[in-house]
Amino acid sequence: MPVLTADLARSRTTDETVTPLFIDPNEERYQQTAHELIQLFENHLGEPKGDLEDAIDELTIADTDYKIVQGLAKLLKDECEFEIVTSVDPREVRRRLFEKANGRYPIVRQPTLGEDTQKLEVYSAVADDLGVSLEECYRGMYADLEDNKQLVRIGTRTADQYASDDDGSTSTTNLTGSSDAEYEHTDLTVDWLLTRYNLALAQAVLYDATEMRIQVLDHFGTVFSYVKLFGLMHRIYPIDADGERVASTDQAAGYEAVLDGPASLFSKSQKYGIRMANFLPALPLCDRWEMGAEILVDETTGETRQFALDHTEDLESHYSAGDQFDSDVERTLTRKWERANTDWELVREDDVFDLGAEVMIPDFAIEHPDGRRAILEIVGFWTPEYLDAKLEKIRKVEADNFVLAVSEQLDCASEEFGSAADRVLWFKTGIHVYDVVDLAEQYATEMPQSQEQA
Amino acid sequence: MRIGFDDGTLLLRNAPDDVPYAEWDDRVDEYRTQAYRYRSLLEWAGKWTDGNEQATLQEGFAHTLEDAARAYPYLDLTPALHIEPRDYQQAALNAWIDHDRRGSVVLPTGSGKTFLGLQAIADAGVSTLVVTPTIDLMNQWHATLTNAFGDQLTEPVGVLGGGSHDVTAITVTTYDSAYRYVNEYGDQFGLLVVDEEHHLPAPTYRQIPEMMIAPYRLGLTATYERPDGKHELLEDLLGPVVYREDVDELAGEYLSEYETIHMSVELTADELEQYDEEYQIYRDYVDTHEFDLWKEEGYQEFLKRTSYDPQGRRALIAKQRAERIARTAEKKLDTLDNLSKRHHDDRAIIFTANNDFAYDISQEFIVPCITHQTKTDERTEILERFRTGEYSMLVTSQVLDEGIDVPAANVGIILSGSASKRQYAQRLGRILRPTDDRQPARLYEIITEDTMETYVSQRRREGVSASADG
Repeated sequence: MPVLTADLARSRTTDETVTPLFIDPNEERYQQTAHELIQLFENHLGEPKGDLEDAIDELTIADTDYKIVQGLAKLLKDECEFEIVTSVDPREVRRRLFEKANGRYPIVRQPTLGEDTQKLEVYSAVADDLGVSLEECYRGMYADLEDNKQLVRIGTRTADQYASDDDGSTSTTNLTGSSDAEYEHTDLTVDWLLTRYNLALAQAVLYDATEMRIQVLDHFGTVFSYVKLFGLMHRIYPIDADGERVASTDQAAGYEAVLDGPASLFSKSQKYGIRMANFLPALPLCDRWEMGAEILVDETTGETRQFALDHTEDLESHYSAGDQFDSDVERTLTRKWERANTDWELVREDDVFDLGAEVMIPDFAIEHPDGRRAILEIVGFWTPEYLDAKLEKIRKVEADNFVLAVSEQLDCASEEFGSAADRVLWFKTGIHVYDVVDLAEQYATEMPQSQEQA
Repeated sequence: MRIGFDDGTLLLRNAPDDVPYAEWDDRVDEYRTQAYRYRSLLEWAGKWTDGNEQATLQEGFAHTLEDAARAYPYLDLTPALHIEPRDYQQAALNAWIDHDRRGSVVLPTGSGKTFLGLQAIADAGVSTLVVTPTIDLMNQWHATLTNAFGDQLTEPVGVLGGGSHDVTAITVTTYDSAYRYVNEYGDQFGLLVVDEEHHLPAPTYRQIPEMMIAPYRLGLTATYERPDGKHELLEDLLGPVVYREDVDELAGEYLSEYETIHMSVELTADELEQYDEEYQIYRDYVDTHEFDLWKEEGYQEFLKRTSYDPQGRRALIAKQRAERIARTAEKKLDTLDNLSKRHHDDRAIIFTANNDFAYDISQEFIVPCITHQTKTDERTEILERFRTGEYSMLVTSQVLDEGIDVPAANVGIILSGSASKRQYAQRLGRILRPTDDRQPARLYEIITEDTMETYVSQRRREGVSASADG
């Protein structure tokens, strides 16, 4: 994942707050710089990394914006691949050269005696032993040095493979550091670079965060799947449209979540700052969101500052929002519902059940204009492991208006749904709208009065 | 109750309400405790076994406890060393064992703390993580551990840090890497060895011992006490001070004798032209702004200006370029040429102040090279070959700190030493030993004549005397 190192981070700290020094991506000079840099990288394709670094340094010799230039370059470098290009094993070449040389010292530049060795003799001898040319031997000797690696690829045009299904096969720990991530996709353009830069500035501030509070009013499923992906723990509170906490999820227009990690229970720790930084790009996937973080500015005294951010900052996410629908069954039901003649309304991913370590976000809510409401989860065609995890979650949900549509092809019985066993609708291939409406009529509950919107 | 390692903590499932050390975690509705409480928790439950001993049941009372946290293996190791421990080393080891293999040993620099670490690892007989403050020290531990246990391990000694990420039964790491990854590997080691443990009480590093279950712990340092008093935390995290030996009790420490020879070279005509050009840019800027560069504040003021004044930025770059030209002067290679003719039968280490120059010399004179980029296992191999005599020369850009176990050489050559870094030369001198009685060890220091460095040191002296007069 592209990151700005501490020396390239730019922010302003006051008595109360810390704010990244964002740049305006539309400003001509930054557009110009970004363009120049991308060109520079493209011109160095197939060239040694050291030459590229020198060329970047050359851009900043009389430029006080060098932190920005170097920062942009860093983000580009993170999208590049540098490889050792050689026909020999550099370490093997070195070993042979040093062994051979050791018996022949002094190896001199200006021979004074007949028996003095010159370096060419040693290189030739080793090249002959290895059956390679003198040139290959000489260049191969240190082909594995960082500066001698060659730029072989710019940009990761990796297919967007991140799917929002949590099949549990992805361990959180290997995603909390920096790793190749399939949920990111990039196309290296001037606009990508400049918007990515602002995001990276905000992420750099979060590396010292001890706690993050988020408020989201849409895209709950996406947001909480990233919370889980990056190994953050949460406390969730339903909120109304103004961000005030409300009593139940039935009244919720959105959710507030306090994010930290396991050891935060014992002391404030910026150990999870990197996870929060990695999580940040998930927020701009929402239409309306707010974020507040506590940033540790003095390790010894434990002094902190506030860092606040919301959707008005126009940050752009490079993360995938995931597939809107988990399955064809869900997509088909939505289409059928649009054509059906019923007062009940089908609303997508509207509730978040806090199950402790995880959340459960049911597929749909079914709402009647008179204020009645039911929650619907579809249990489709899944692998046994996924089904077990899903059932475990379902058993934990405590809501009387929680109904389920379950495929008959699944190897499971009513009892396995715990307290929801009576509220299961079994289906063969597709779900009929009116069966679901029947279920809703039977189990829906009144929404509390306070939910009525002004 | 079932205890499991969870991301650097211990999650206690179905724990009774009187479980000690634990906090209720309302996020998951279970008790949770810090990983380092692992051993205390087992002791409380009457489930702690030390090696082959039976669990000591406290008055017949034992809590049901299922241990799903522990993921570290036993190891059967004997250090392959032909050195007898010195008396104080044996005494320190015994004291540590007597304190249930938890605690700190305070020994002066150069008294063989690493050696003690090896004995402790063999004695504890469990997988071990060694945490060190620098990559250099990490590399040194790697070399020592490989020599001592390499043949007895199924996998090589692991390295976590400095670009490597290999975690095995015996692994060395730095404080920074340990802090970053401890929550992933905190269940995989039975013994934690912390070198230079006085760094540990920092708020971030403190989480390294906290997030590990390791029931055995050993802290090593020469300077236990911290000015801020935070060393008091070490007792809880690693155990009490179990052994302490003061400097004078180890009198007669061996310091090598060597003679220093100063040499200087001139810049070539091309170099001089470039040098003058860059130096002039710097000089002009500094003169027009009247910074008092010979005082710390003046230099800070200059640096501050370089962050918003483009010409200031250019001046800073000019200064760096000029310094670089002086450091890597072509004629230094000619001098090295002569020295290598004179000393080709000796054991020589060449020091440079930057990587590029070290690699230039390595290619030009075909000399093994060690820089910060050299991977730990190759570094260990090169030093081992230098020790055995398979290699008789070495070029390095690394500052070899005290306590670093570098094989002795009788010739040291400093190629990029700037005149302002005398203490650097002194430090390098410590690894020099005469190879025979006839000739003392030698340290050559080669600097570039008539450059900023000489100028700076002159001006500094003038500055000092001026203020002394005034």
